[in-house]
Amino acid sequence: MNRMLFWGMTILSIAVAVCTAFGQEDMELVDNGAFDRPQRPPAIFEHDAHNEMAGLDDCAECHHLYDESGQKLEGESSEDQMCADCHELKDVGSKPGLRKAFHNNCKGCHVAQEKGPIACAQCHVR
Amino acid sequence: MHALYQFVAGPLAWAAFIVFLGGLLYRLIRLLILVRNREPFISSYMSWRYGLRSIVHWLTPFGTVRWRTMPVLTVVTFVFHLFLLITPIFLLSHIVLWDEAWGLTWWALPDVLADIMCAIVIACCVFFAVRRSTQPEVRFVTDSSDYLILLLTAAPFLTGFVAYHQWTEGAWMTILHMFSGELMLALLPFTRLGHMLLGWLTRAYMGSEFGGVRHARDW
Ligand code: HEC
Ligand code: HEC
Ligand code: HEC
Ligand code: HEC
Repeated sequence: MNRMLFWGMTILSIAVAVCTAFGQEDMELVDNGAFDRPQRPPAIFEHDAHNEMAGLDDCAECHHLYDESGQKLEGESSEDQMCADCHELKDVGSKPGLRKAFHNNCKGCHVAQEKGPIACAQCHVR
Repeated sequence: MHALYQFVAGPLAWAAFIVFLGGLLYRLIRLLILVRNREPFISSYMSWRYGLRSIVHWLTPFGTVRWRTMPVLTVVTFVFHLFLLITPIFLLSHIVLWDEAWGLTWWALPDVLADIMCAIVIACCVFFAVRRSTQPEVRFVTDSSDYLILLLTAAPFLTGFVAYHQWTEGAWMTILHMFSGELMLALLPFTRLGHMLLGWLTRAYMGSEFGGVRHARDW
């Protein structure tokens, strides 16, 4: 019984280690599974390489948190959640729908900084 | 690339739409003034009833003798005009951008279907070009401006098709696509593509004259 528990725990911890290893460091695409019947190939986004290249240290630049009144919470972040956990497919008041949230976030910054892809095909690469 | 993209997607797009609408209005007003000065008697027999009757007949596939004598051309003409209008208005890519610019959204065609419709529009343009250059009776009334407006119409579809399929790298095909669409819109009122608006008036006039004066059909 104890032996089974031991092996069980070992396998579980290896599994957890493998999963974390495939966290944001290995992310190459933004998953489009939250959309029903996605029309485009998923957008390319090498999470860590991108943020290093773009000089983004603040996780909350993208993984933001808001309070009840829609006020952005400075110094807090939401990287434990998916964008789709908060952003529905359609706009809700001033909270953009999922597609618009991604586009305004990604493209919005690229336009503002005049760096990075802005045409559809540059992100949704086949 | 960024500055050019922003310019073509922003100010130039606005300019194109303004010239498009302003140009059509100008053509309309000029036509009405011309009629008033030269042939004011036309207004004495312009009729909603006969005008609309003629338009409805010509809008019906195979609804006129002319449509029936050239079945292939008829089908191509109807499909071409229908897809020419529907594809860009219900294209997901365009709706995505309207949504982001003004918060406007509506139903979108699935990309796969829009892709096929776009290819059909391009194929229709090729058909028209081949017909112009091979059929003697059409060739006789064709000059270079006919091919030019055909190219002007096909260009946004061609560049859009290539950009969507990503046969080229980077953003420049998308830029070219927007530019060719803007060029088409801006030149439309000042070329024979103006039939988009004036064609209805010509038809209404013909219908009125045939219906009210000659008491004959014009279809
Ligand atoms: C440029 C925007 C951006 C920045 C900056 C950013 N991320 Fe992310 N991150 C994303 C996106 C987009 C996803 C995918 C989210 C989704 O699919 O809903 C993501 C996913 C993640 C995930 C989940 C990975 C997975 O595979 O599920 C983790 C963990 C994460 N980010 C951590 C961080 C941390 C820590 C920072 C700060 C050091 C950070 N991120 C900064 C955009 C960003
Ligand atoms: C914990 C919930 C939550 C998560 C997770 C979240 N958002 Fe948001 N986001 C919000 C709320 C709430 C608003 C609306 C604020 C308001 O009402 O103005 C918002 C607004 C936005 C906006 C518009 C305002 C702005 O900051 O430009 C964008 C764009 C956006 N989110 C993108 C994203 C992206 C991309 C992700 C994933 C990387 C993400 N959000 C994750 C809750 C969240
Ligand atoms: C806060 C600003 C910012 C945000 C948010 C952002 N980016 Fe970027 N991105 C940049 C900058 C800056 C560059 C250009 C880096 C360079 O070329 O030096 C870039 C470059 C890129 C590139 C090109 C990478 C390469 O190898 O050349 C891709 C792809 C990209 N971004 C995708 C995304 C996606 C997808 C998102 C949204 C999930 C996103 N970006 C959000 C700033 C941002
Ligand atoms: C800066 C990168 C970027 C650019 C540029 C961009 N997108 Fe996206 N887009 C994304 C990301 C990230 C998502 C989230 C899911 C994913 O990976 O597809 C997304 C999601 C979508 C979705 C919803 C998911 C689907 O496949 O149906 C559509 C539709 C879409 N984009 C169309 C477009 C169109 C059309 C353009 C050009 C007008 C465009 N995008 C430009 C990054 C981008």
